[in-house]
Parts: sequence; structure tokens; C-alpha cells
Amino acid sequence: MSEDKPATSRSTILKALEIALKTGRVTRKYPFAEPLITDEFRGRIEIDEEKCIGCGACVLACPPNALELIEENGQRMIKYFIGRCIYCWRCIDVCPVNAIRGTRDFELATDNIDDLVDIVVHDMVKCSSCGSAFMTIRQKIYVIKKAPLTENYIDKDPKCRREKTLNALLKRRGGVMKYE
Amino acid sequence: MTKKSLDHVLKEYIDGIKSIYPKADYLFSNDTLFIVVPKEKLRDVTEFIHNKMDCYLRTCLGSDERPLLGHFALYHIFGDDRNGLNIVVKTYLDPKKPVAPTIMDIVPAADWCEMEARDLLGIEFEGRKQYRLVLPVGWPDNLHPLRKDVPYNIRPRPSAVGERITPPKTATATIPVGPYHPALHEPEYFELYVEGETVVDVKYRGFHVHRGIEKLGESRMNYQQVNFLAERICGICGFVHSTCYAQAVEKAAKIDVPERAKFIRSIVLEIERIHSHLLWIGVAAHLLGYDTGFMHAWRIREHIMVLAEFLTGSRKTYGINLVGGVRRDINEDKKKQAIEVLDKVEKDYMEYLKALLAVPEVKKRATETGILPKEDARKLSVVGPTARGSGLDRDVRRDVPYAAYNYVDFNVPVYDSGDNLARLLVRADEVIESIKIIRQLLDQLPKGPIMAEDFEIPENRAAVSLAEAPRGEDIHYIITGDGRPYRWKVRAPTYQNIPALKVMLKGAPLADAPLTIASIDPCFSCTDRIYVINETSARKIVRIGIGLCPG
Amino acid sequence: MSEYIKKSIWVFHLNTGSCNACDIEILDALTPYFDAERLGVKLVVSPRHADALLLTGPITYESLPKVIRAIEAVPRPRFILALGSCAVGGGIWHDTYSTIGGVPELLKILKNRGIEVDGVYYVPGCPIRPEALIYAVGILKGILQKKVKMRVRKAIA
Repeated sequence: MSEDKPATSRSTILKALEIALKTGRVTRKYPFAEPLITDEFRGRIEIDEEKCIGCGACVLACPPNALELIEENGQRMIKYFIGRCIYCWRCIDVCPVNAIRGTRDFELATDNIDDLVDIVVHDMVKCSSCGSAFMTIRQKIYVIKKAPLTENYIDKDPKCRREKTLNALLKRRGGVMKYE
Repeated sequence: MTKKSLDHVLKEYIDGIKSIYPKADYLFSNDTLFIVVPKEKLRDVTEFIHNKMDCYLRTCLGSDERPLLGHFALYHIFGDDRNGLNIVVKTYLDPKKPVAPTIMDIVPAADWCEMEARDLLGIEFEGRKQYRLVLPVGWPDNLHPLRKDVPYNIRPRPSAVGERITPPKTATATIPVGPYHPALHEPEYFELYVEGETVVDVKYRGFHVHRGIEKLGESRMNYQQVNFLAERICGICGFVHSTCYAQAVEKAAKIDVPERAKFIRSIVLEIERIHSHLLWIGVAAHLLGYDTGFMHAWRIREHIMVLAEFLTGSRKTYGINLVGGVRRDINEDKKKQAIEVLDKVEKDYMEYLKALLAVPEVKKRATETGILPKEDARKLSVVGPTARGSGLDRDVRRDVPYAAYNYVDFNVPVYDSGDNLARLLVRADEVIESIKIIRQLLDQLPKGPIMAEDFEIPENRAAVSLAEAPRGEDIHYIITGDGRPYRWKVRAPTYQNIPALKVMLKGAPLADAPLTIASIDPCFSCTDRIYVINETSARKIVRIGIGLCPG
Repeated sequence: MSEYIKKSIWVFHLNTGSCNACDIEILDALTPYFDAERLGVKLVVSPRHADALLLTGPITYESLPKVIRAIEAVPRPRFILALGSCAVGGGIWHDTYSTIGGVPELLKILKNRGIEVDGVYYVPGCPIRPEALIYAVGILKGILQKKVKMRVRKAIA
């Protein structure tokens, strides 16, 4: 194999021992002391229910569908399932109102999977003509604030809005039929 | 390479193909030559490209293009590293009954990718033995998940019938390894056939980790989300996959990525290489029974993990790549800290390496075991440290520079002996080279934005992208679609290296098998979006669970 | 649950199709910086010796029968630690054709087959930090308390 004289086991043990002695103890005493974590670590996200408008931008951006949008009984829920989150923080990038904040929290273990669910519930606006719920109240306030002109037609859902516009156009052209 | 010589090379290819099929359509874009030939001519063209032009097969893939053009398509991607060229040969197949001629007898490496296309798209290959490769046992025969009319979330009833392996009664003993094996981490199944103490054959059943990644990327996700999916192909070389994917899209859409982003990508890629190699060196020491070496390697590696978290926000470098750039910047403070960490790691590592290589048992057990001769290595077209340990001087970073690798100087360590020690030394040297590369990159880090602004990704463009993962060459092929890739194909390095195990293990003592299997640094989570070893005669089986992947 | 396990926890590592990141972090938890053996965690080579299974990955169809056999082999009381986002909620591939979508789905299959599990602990993370594993072990042993709780909050307009 090799011409050079192989080292003896004793000398290699001594070498390893020397390294070990020089290094000393490196073990972190976690959970009884601080973890080995940096400031940059991406952990769980925290949705601020005071700021969230329930637009669902985060839901669209979320790669693993950890954020879901559920509409039920005139309410819209943003459901964050920590158990599926990949901690990419794309939701933070896309949130229009900065309602999502990243934390360094990683101590999330639990014996009940329901503990990992975080839901923000929004009330929705009903369409003034057909009565279907189509956006959250917060969303409406946000849109009016950003674009005050929309105030005139924002209380109709997109379908009714379209019908209204088309009917108005037809009337202007002299038509009498209602658009259907 | 000058412009003229490239033209010359291209002309050679085109003339050659035209002499086989005069009506062949071709198109040259970026560094890739796209050619369309009818399936009757495929074998002749393959022979010309592979044998005459001395290219090797990067991979092949099927694609369901019935919604676009009304047919199935089969792509064979060849590589010409000397000229930095990719050659993509496209063949149209019948939409009702797609049948293609096999090229496996010309290019043995096409075995798995053809079977993958058969499983996932239902393309039949004439003139070869066909078998189930990727999909689980019990999956319906006529359900091909990558066809566009099959939803990505289709779930035939899970069959939980356990496969019991009843070894045939022969003189050879069968040692099963895996799918769950103590030291190692991935569910893969090897059967080693032994006579006495000597391994006479190996069989492999993988694809326990087939998760349907390609389909997901083509259906549920959008361009930016696929980055996060690509990372999760592999927990060790994840950043390589996401970089390779992003580069493929950037190439297809001709997006200019800011220099600073390229540098940051390269830095993180090298950090990944260091932690991967340190991990491997530690595990190799563990397999040799030198646990002290294992612990010290991982102690040193921990500094790199903390650094990775500090630079990217995740210990596994997840989550900073996007198409068009990166999400996190490296500021002066981070730069300073990174250099401090590297200095410390380098010092500790050199000391450790000296101690490790002085251990007589390590040297003895690694020397002249698991030999892969240079000839075999070339024929099997192995990649990464496995190739470099067998004297093949191949490294994508140097041969086809991507990201910021053309701004740095580094050596590509090559050893000729082809044994486990050679592969260990290649990795050991690469750690030092990587530290050197990161230092240079940090030093030259240009100013500017880290994300390209306002780009559009046009539909129906294709691109091949390469990257050097810690285990070898990683290939992503992309056809762009509406808001998401139309077809996205990944070929991981381990895919190419596994067949070499057969050569390494045959005739070797059983006791060397774990180290030898680990020595290619197999990464099954990468590979298992696909693959298989030919079943030979009925012999007995030794299962070894070597799911070591370290990525 | 912790009344069953007062002393050292022996664990068997079961990768059901994960990307390796969690698996390497498990190994990392046993190396000098974290040294989970302080808490008695020992990686064993056979499920028959184990108290708990460290399950990573979204459970692919190919691995499902083998996973069930491994769980059957663990003597009772048996615990499962579902590690990482894939195991807890199916992760990024929670609804693809070749995975079953994590431990909650696995538990349903186990229930149908009459295989009992004495406790399941969910440890989110992608990948889990070695400390997250140690934290989960702390909860399993009863020396730490869980911090997360289901929250439903109303956004008042």
C-alpha cells in the first residue's frame, strides 16, 4: 500500500485527544440555555389581525399552501397551518399592508395537531344587488382609501358590476333588452 | 472559445445530421442546438452524436404536447463539454399510441430515463426489456401522471400490501440492505448477492422518494414558487437545484441577472459544497468505525451551518433563490463575519484532516477498495467526485462556467487511483478549494441590485442548464409555459453515478460494501424522481440500507 | 403520555421520502454541538428496540407498506415523532399523486388496520432545527411545556 511507515494507533489517539482538549466543550445546554440561533433565522410567521385586510395575496404566494382562504357563512378565514409551512416568508414579501411579521420561533412541537392552526376571521361585504358575499369589509375600506373613485360601484360584486356596466352600455346604444 | 470555432463545430453537427436526414429542422439558441428528426432516424442520429461526435447523453425525457401541437414528444439531450454545447434531439410520437425506438443499446445510460418516460407518460420503447421503474408497486398500469389530462393530485387507493422478499434458493447468499438501515438516512433498497465473503452482484430498488415533483412544478405552482419546490428535491444540494432551475428559466427567457446576485449564488453554492463534503467525510469516518472522526467533522461543519443560516436565514440554505436574482443580500457586516468563520473552519479542518488521514485503519480500508477504473468511469459517464477520483477531469464550474465562477481561480482536484481513498481525497481537497473560492467571491462582490426588474417569461421556449452539485453535474431542462413551466425535467448527479456501483462492488469483500456505496455520496431524494438496476440472474440478496445521502 | 417514558428514549429513524434535510438535522442533533444523548436519546438499529419513531417525509406510496411494517415492529407503548413540515402536514407535496400527505393520513390508515399508536408528537420546521428535535423530546419526557395553541382571531372591521 504505502511506503511510508504507518502511524501507530496510539499516536493517532493522542492526536485526536489533542484536538479535543484544545477545542474544549462545545455542547450547547439547550433546552436549559440559549439555542444556537442567529438573528437571521426564519421561523413561524405572525399575522397581525389588526392590520390584515383578508385580500389573500399571501395565500396565492404560498408555495406549500400552508395559508388557505376559506369562505363560509359570509365570513372569510385566512387559515395558517404551521405544520405545513416551509418558512420561506414569501407571504411577508407580498403582503400589501405589512400585516405579516416573521419571528424566530421554532419551538413549535405539540402533541395535538390542532395547536398548529392559526385562523384570522374577516366579516364580508354583501353585494347590494344579489346579496352574495364577495370581499371583506377591511378590503373595501382599503380599496376606497387607495382609489376613492371606486366608492360608487364597490358595493356590487364583480358579476353584478359587469352586468350593470353592460346594461348601461346597451341602454346608451339605444337597446332596450336587459343583458343576461 | 472564439466565435469562429463555435460556428465550425455547429456546422459539423448540422452537416452530419443533414447527411442522415436532409429535412431536419434545427435552431440554435444560447448554447443549445435544437434538432427535430422523425423517429425512424432517431437511432442513426443518436449514433452520430454519441459515437462519432463523442458526446454523452445528459438525459432524455418525454413530454405530452398534445394540447399544444397534438402529439407526444421525446427529447434526448446530449452534452459536448469540450465546446460547452448542448444538443437537444426532438422526436414526435403518435398521440394515440406513442412508441419510440430505444437507444439503450447505443447509449446504455438511456436505460432509466426511457423507463421513466414510459412510467410517467406511457411512451413505449421498442426493442428492449421494459419494466416499472418510478411508480410504486400497485399503481394502475394505464395511469400516467405526467400526461396533461391527468390531474396532479390524483390518488388511486393507497395499496399498503407489504412486499415480502423471499430469497431464491441458490448457492449464493442474499444480503438485503435497506430500505431502512441504521446508519443511513434514506429509504433505498440494495440487494447484494454474495458468495462467501465476496459480492458477486448488486440489485437496487429505489424510488421510495418519488414525490411527483415534476408534475407539481407543471401544475400547481408558478415560476417563482417552483424555486422553493426545486430546493426540496434534496436537503443537501437544494441550493444547486434551485439555482439550476432559476438559470434554466433565465436562459429560456433571456433575463439578465445582476452580477451581485450571481456572486451571492456562487457563495452559497460553495457553502453548500463545504457542508456536504464535511458531512460526507464524517459519515465515511463513521462507516470505517472511526467515530471520533465523525464527531469532529460534524463539529467543524456546525460553524458552516451557522454561517449558512446567517447568510440565508435557513440552516439548509433554503429560500433565497428566485428567478431573476436572490432575496437576501450580503452586507459588510455579514461579509466580515463570514470571513472570520471561514478562517476558523479552515484552521480546524486542516488539523482534523491531518489527524484523520494519519489513522492507519482509515487509510488501509479506503485504499484499493471500491475501484472504478478510468475506462469504466468514462463509459458510464460518471460525474463529480466519483469521476474525478477515477482520473476524469470534469467539473462544470470550470468547463461551462455559470453564476460567478468565471471570476475566480480554483483547482479541480483529480486523483487517478479510482478507489475509495481517491474519492475521499477529492472531497477533502474540494473543501479547501471552496473556502478559497468563497474568499475570492466575497472580496470581489460587486455593488448593485440583487434582483432583476420587470421581466417577462415568454411561452414555449426551452433551455438546458447545468450546475456542479457536491455530487456532480446537475441538469435541469425547461420548456416554458403559461405562468409556470410546461415541462420541467431534473437529472440529479447520483442518477449517473449509481450504475458505477456495480463495477465497484463486484468481486469486493462484503465488509467494504457500505463504504463503497457511500463513496459515490448517493443522494436518493434527488435521484428518485426516477430509476433502476438491471436484474441479472436469480441470486441471493444482501440488503444494505445505504441511504446516506447526504444529498 | 410521559408517564410511560421516564428514562432514556431510544429512537428509530424512519425516512418516508423526505428530502434529507430533516434526516441530517436528526444526525446533527447527536453530534457535539447539540448532543441529544444528554437527554437519553439514542438512535437504535431496529424498530424492535425503539420507544419512538422519528418519522420524516410525506410518506410516499412506495414506502407506505414498509413504514407500516416498521411501526408494527415497535413494541408498545409506541410513539411517533412526526418531524418536519412534510411529516406533519404533507409539506409542499401535500396533495401530489405519489404521497399520502403526512402523518395525519397515515394515522387513519393505521386505525383502519387496527394498529395502535400511543402518542404522536408533531414537530414543524423545514427543515427542523436540531434544537426543535431536542425541544420535542423535552415535551415527550415532560420536562418542557408546549408553547403553541390553536388560535382563532377575529379581525374587527
